[in-house]
Amino acid sequence: MNSLQALQEYIKTKDNFRNFINGSEVPTVCKSEPCMLGVDEAGRGPVLGPMVYGVAYCPINTKKILENLGCADSKALTEEKRDDILTQIFTDDAALNNVGWASEIISPNYISNSMYRRAKHSLNEVSMNSAIDLIKKVHSSGVNITEVYVDTVGPPEKYQAKLSEIFPEFKITVAKKADSIYPIVSAASIVAKVTRDHALKVWKFHEDLEMDHTQFGSGYPGDPLTKKFIREQIDKVFGYPLLVRFSWSTADHMLQEKAATCTFEEVDEENPKKKASAGTKSISSFFSPKLESNGKIRKRHKFFEERCLIVGNNAFD
Amino acid sequence: MSIQVENNLKDTENKEIFEQRAHFIPCKVDEDGPANVRRFFEPYICEDENGELSATFRGHLLNGTRMQLPDGYRAIVVTEAKRPLAENADRRFQVAGGFKQVMYWNWDKKPSKNDNLVKALDWVDIAEAVHGD
Repeated sequence: MNSLQALQEYIKTKDNFRNFINGSEVPTVCKSEPCMLGVDEAGRGPVLGPMVYGVAYCPINTKKILENLGCADSKALTEEKRDDILTQIFTDDAALNNVGWASEIISPNYISNSMYRRAKHSLNEVSMNSAIDLIKKVHSSGVNITEVYVDTVGPPEKYQAKLSEIFPEFKITVAKKADSIYPIVSAASIVAKVTRDHALKVWKFHEDLEMDHTQFGSGYPGDPLTKKFIREQIDKVFGYPLLVRFSWSTADHMLQEKAATCTFEEVDEENPKKKASAGTKSISSFFSPKLESNGKIRKRHKFFEERCLIVGNNAFD
Repeated sequence: MSIQVENNLKDTENKEIFEQRAHFIPCKVDEDGPANVRRFFEPYICEDENGELSATFRGHLLNGTRMQLPDGYRAIVVTEAKRPLAENADRRFQVAGGFKQVMYWNWDKKPSKNDNLVKALDWVDIAEAVHGD
């Protein structure tokens, strides 16, 4: 990958309704020298588009290179500046010889599907698994990781305990705003943020919709263009194109209001109410007509009951 | 009440009209009418190396399989120009098309012999044994 153009082209070759991983060659020095690795994410909040996890790594003694590249609090950088730093990471000799990176593009469809599983996966689980997979992948490609720095939005303690359990050999630091404290996390953050921006720029709808990011906006629920998209691009039956995270309340509420009501099978969560009532007759049952033992109402055989078959004299109802 | 089904497509040249693609989805949709299946659903149907199908509907992961109809059976789609108001009135339907296989979808669960539709089709064999010659 030697330019943002190449990054866009790579993203375009991938199905945008699935996840995929992108990454640099491993700089040789990273295989021998002890390295630090930073983890950060971009696009957690938006209702449109993928969430991207990024990692960056370099030998501990080459921190200076990151500072020279300008890797500091990525949220304080402009989009141009971030693009510029990633281009340098792709092309600058000092960067190429010392700094490696990888990213996972987590599709909006995967996010919706995960949150709408029978056994729900929260966005936190999706996030944590992505971070863990990326660290494992970098580790197994031969990088001598010794220190890991992770940015988190949630409480750091639990996350740190979990990572330390999985990677006991690394010194792990999970912190809020790690992005602005550790340059290696800033670098990871830039990888993630720029990848997400470009993924949106090259987004191609599979739904025959000729629209691009200048029309659907940044994806943040507060963006007027995104709001307009969420309000207007509704299909009565299918809801939205798969650019949208269906599991976001912004999208879900709009569909409840404007699209056809859809009811999926209910998941049997341990529902104590049901069990408690099993032995008790409902009060209304005392008022319903009693079945005689030689009764006229013939109960269907279990065979039919189990197969949801009924006698078809009211067909087409 | 009687039900009449008219088939005005009996002599149609267009054989494809009886080989349409049908999807059985695990969701009750409160809407009758055309659906943009080709635009919103079919682009996302994937088959993995084991022949297992996946798709997505309203953000929900679906697992699917191609289900053949029992031998000697075919499925038809009928429409009714106007539904009579009275409960017991005669009903008239027109054949609008048909299909020979169904893509059967479950929500986040691989299709199996225990699915209701599969089990319901057992009746076809039983009926043959009971009523056949």
